[in-house]
Parts: sequence; C-alpha cells; structure tokens
Amino acid sequence: MIATVVKLIVRRLLAAIPILLIVSALLFCVLRLLPVDPAAMSLPPTATIEEVEAKRREMGLDKPLPQQYLIWLSDALHGDFGRSIALRREAGSLVAATLPATIELALCAMVIAAMLGLGGGLLLFHLRGSVFEPVADLVSVLLLSIPEFLWGLILLFVFGVALQLMPFTGEVSPGLPIPHITGFLLLDSLLIGRFDVFLSACQHLILPAVALGLAFSPTIMRVLRSSLFDVYHEDYIEQARLRGLSEGHILLGHALKNAALPTLTLAGVQFGILFSGTLLVELIYSYPGMGNLMVDAVRNADLPLIQAIGLTYCIVVLVINTVVDSLYVVLNPKLRVR
Amino acid sequence: MPAILRSLRSPRVLIALGMILGIACCAVFASSLAPHDPGDQNLLSILTPPAWADGGDPNYPLGTDSLGRCVLSRLIYGARTAMLVALFASLGAMIVGSILAHVSGYFGGAVDWIIGRMVDVWMSFPPVILSLILMVGLGVGLDKVILAIVLVDWTRFCRVLRSEVLIVTRHDYVAAARLLGFTHWQTIVREVLPATLPLLITLISLEMAIAVVVEAILSFVGLGVGADQPAWGQMIADARQYVYQSPWNLLLPILAIFLTVTAFNLLGDGLRRTLDVRLAETGR
Repeated sequence: MIATVVKLIVRRLLAAIPILLIVSALLFCVLRLLPVDPAAMSLPPTATIEEVEAKRREMGLDKPLPQQYLIWLSDALHGDFGRSIALRREAGSLVAATLPATIELALCAMVIAAMLGLGGGLLLFHLRGSVFEPVADLVSVLLLSIPEFLWGLILLFVFGVALQLMPFTGEVSPGLPIPHITGFLLLDSLLIGRFDVFLSACQHLILPAVALGLAFSPTIMRVLRSSLFDVYHEDYIEQARLRGLSEGHILLGHALKNAALPTLTLAGVQFGILFSGTLLVELIYSYPGMGNLMVDAVRNADLPLIQAIGLTYCIVVLVINTVVDSLYVVLNPKLRVR
Repeated sequence: MPAILRSLRSPRVLIALGMILGIACCAVFASSLAPHDPGDQNLLSILTPPAWADGGDPNYPLGTDSLGRCVLSRLIYGARTAMLVALFASLGAMIVGSILAHVSGYFGGAVDWIIGRMVDVWMSFPPVILSLILMVGLGVGLDKVILAIVLVDWTRFCRVLRSEVLIVTRHDYVAAARLLGFTHWQTIVREVLPATLPLLITLISLEMAIAVVVEAILSFVGLGVGADQPAWGQMIADARQYVYQSPWNLLLPILAIFLTVTAFNLLGDGLRRTLDVRLAETGR
C-alpha cells in the first residue's frame, strides 16, 4: 500500500517537472527584463563603467538570455541559487534558514483551518432548515470574504493592541535565545529543553496561525456542508435511520466519513494557497520566515534572492498539490487503478 | 436585461450597492468632502486622537498620523485610490480573461490547449508572489498597480468563463446562428456573450473585492501607489509603527478596507444567487 502511494507520488512529481521548468524560465525572463542591473547593484556606487562591464561579464550577463537561463538552471540544480546582492550571502542558504519557520506557520494554520472548518461545517449542516440558517449562511459568506491580510490586521488590533493579550511581533519574546538545530523553532526549543522558549514561540505563533486559519476555514466549512447534503441523499442514511440509529450517530459515524473525502481534497488544494498566504501574515506580524525575506528582497530589487524565493514558493505549492492529488486517488477507492 | 433588474430586489444586492455607492461618493467628491489636503503635514500636532477622545482636536475629526496629516482626509482620498484600482483592474482583468476564455471555449482544439496551458503555468505562481515580482519590474504608481492586478488575475476570469462558454457553445441556437451565416465574431458577441454575461458580472464584483485587498497589500509593502497618493494600505503600515500611541489610526483604515471588501463580496454573492450562476466554492 505504502509502496504504491510513494510510486504514485513520485510519478506525479516527475510529471510536474515540465511545468516547473516553464515556471522557472518565465520567472527568469521576467526578472531579467527588469530595468535593474544586478552587476551595477553589487558594486559600490563609485565603480567605473569598466568595472561594471567586467562584473557583467563575470556574472554572465553579457551572454544571450537562453544561455544565461541554462547557466542559472545548471547552477540551481547543483544547489547554487546565486548570491543575494543586498545581504551578500548565498540565496539558497537564506531560503533554507527561513523556510522552516514558514512551514511551521503554514502547518499550524492548516490544523486550525481544518478544525474550524470541521466544526463550522457540522454546525452549518446542523442548522439546516432552522430559523438560524439564513443568518449562518450570511455569516459564512461574510467570513469567506475576509482575506488573511485583513484577518491578520483585525486579530493584531483586537488581541494585540486593544486587549493586549498576545504578542504580535517576531517569533519569540526579545531576550530569549533562538535555538538553531532543525530550524523548526517549536521543535528546537523542546530539543534544548527550554520550555519558556517553547511557550513564547507558541504565543507568537497563535495570532498569525489563527489569522491564516480563519481565512481558509470558511471554504472548508461550506464544502463540508454541501458534501454532507449530498451524502444525506444516499440510501444508506435512510437505512441507518430505519435501523434505529440516532441522528448524531448517523452524522458522525456514517455521513461524515463519506463527506470527508471531497472536503479533504479541497483542504489540500487550500493548503497550497494557504502556503503562499503565509507571506502576508508574516509581514503583518514581522515573523521571520520566507515571506519577510521575499518582501525585503523585493524592496531591494535583489534579483537572485527574489528568483530563489519565488521558485521555492512555486515548488512547495506544486509539491503540495501533487501529493494531495495522489492522496486523493489513494483514499478514493473509485479512482484506484488496478 | 430583466435578470439584472430582478436582482435589484434582493436585499443583499441592495445593501451592497448602497455601501458601494457611499464609498464611491467619497471617492468622487473627495476634494470637497475632505476637511484638509491629504498630504498637508502639521508637525505641531502629530498622532492626535479622534476629536471625541481626550486631547482630540476638532480640526481633525479622526485625528492625525505620524506626520500630522488628517486621517479623515486620507481615508476619503484612500477611497478614491481603492475605487479606481477596483474599477479599472477588474475591468482590465475581465477584458483580457473573457476574450481569451471565449476564444478558447468557442474554437476549442489547439487554441484551447495553448490558452489552457498558459492558465496552468500562470496559476502555478501564487498570486501574491507574482504580483510582488511584477511590481519590482513595473515600479510604483496607480497605473502600475492596476496593470499588475490585470496581469495576475485575468486567469480567474479565463478559467471559470471558459467552461461556461464550452457549455453555451454546444447549444443548438449557437449552431443555428452559424447556419444562418453569422461570422464567428458575430456568433460570439450576439449569441454566446449574452449567455455568459451573468457569470461575467458576478465575477467582476468578486474581482473588485480582490483588487481592493491587493492594492492595500501592495501599498502596505510600499510597492503600491506612490508615496504622494494616500492609500489605505499605506495608512496601515504607518499606523503599525505607532500602534500604542494611536490605535485609532490602525483601526480606521482596516475598517475601511473591511467594509469595501464586504460590500463587493455581498454584491457578488447576491448576484450569484439572483442570476443563478454556478460558481465553484473555491472561487476565492
């Protein structure tokens, strides 16, 4: 079973490579067409035109665009994404240093979105036909319309500023050490046995993760509700009722299992979108992940870094979507190929 | 268009239109509504609270920001920026996306394949990342923000509309139009477009909400409209730094964005129901 799953995922990931190549080529072209000269930017402003020209040759910028792309691609395949112009460090290592924080945030947000989505979906379904249904419906539409950027700001205002319950800047309180073992702060703080750091990291993670989770839960909520509606048209629900099972048992024991599948697929697709949504909440909460690195790179027009981060986001989203697709096939017996 | 008129009876649509009309009025009559010039700095009274709070100045009904600029005036002028972006970005994305969708769905075959793959590649870029990268190249400015949103969001229209066009094109009356000697262009404009119009209108109102948020995000990052042009995102970025001194400055632009986005989404939802448009639940 596991072997087939792995085989499926690998096959799908291989199929995603052409898309990735096109995406990276597009990214490369867009960034090269910009009116920004990476050679001039990596030299001090006093550099002469000859020095800039020499730097351009050294960086390979005098070669035709397709050749430049191939050089960049072969470097990238060897793990070399070039050097950040502004930060003067390897772009690859900068990405590697910030990616774990972003993944941690995205995972927490996904768990929160799933829990809220499940609870909300069941509640919406439970309210069907009651007087509260139009109200719940309107509320879910309103919730659906608030993007993570606004949730981030609203939560920051309410819990950070007005009630002063939660910290809203950085990933731990100032003064606490930040361990670097795996890069995942929650894990690292436990590994070194510092529960105060762990607690502080959790506190700092809550608002950004909830903001992101809130933005994505309504979609899950509404899909769960509509798939529950579909499931309740099936005969086995009526049969279960005839067997004298309680409504609660039917809902949780029979209907939910069958309604979970479409919801799960959607949750997976959402996870891809959610991952790129981390950029905005990271920005709002000054959370030191890849999103803030990207925004800094963009502000400095730091092309090698933008390229590396942009590609990383695309790869992660592509991988998530591919894995979810494969899992869907595995979980759904109807789609299983013999 | 009776269906459109019918949708005016829906309370959702009416409430939403009322809200949008209010915001649009702020945008259009900004120069006469705003008590001050939004760029005027009064460094003698910075970060004053709203007029009703302790230490408030009746001269500045909603207080001032970190440079002593009138918050109310900046909010009103910010509405102008937001509405301009919402209007032109969604129209632009609609034009590009729907032309490609109609061509793709109507002709099918190789054209459809090429446009379909283009949409796939485009959509594998997360929208936020793509718009940030585009802004690096385009530089700041209202027109650049609009262009960036059009370049990112045409796919939303293209993908949803294409499947609708595909369904409409299979109807007998489209074939009948071709048999009557209509050119392809005439068939698309006179027979297909009217059938896809309800979906198009719904999508535009949803896209307007997205455009308002994207503009706020880009201005928040400092890559939106120029620094001389007031925008809600800028106000938030500014207030974020002085959040303890003047929480109002943070709350007010958040509220402004919230109300605008809610209004457009409520309109979209109301239109979707009354025009009976099939839209995927994931259509964020």
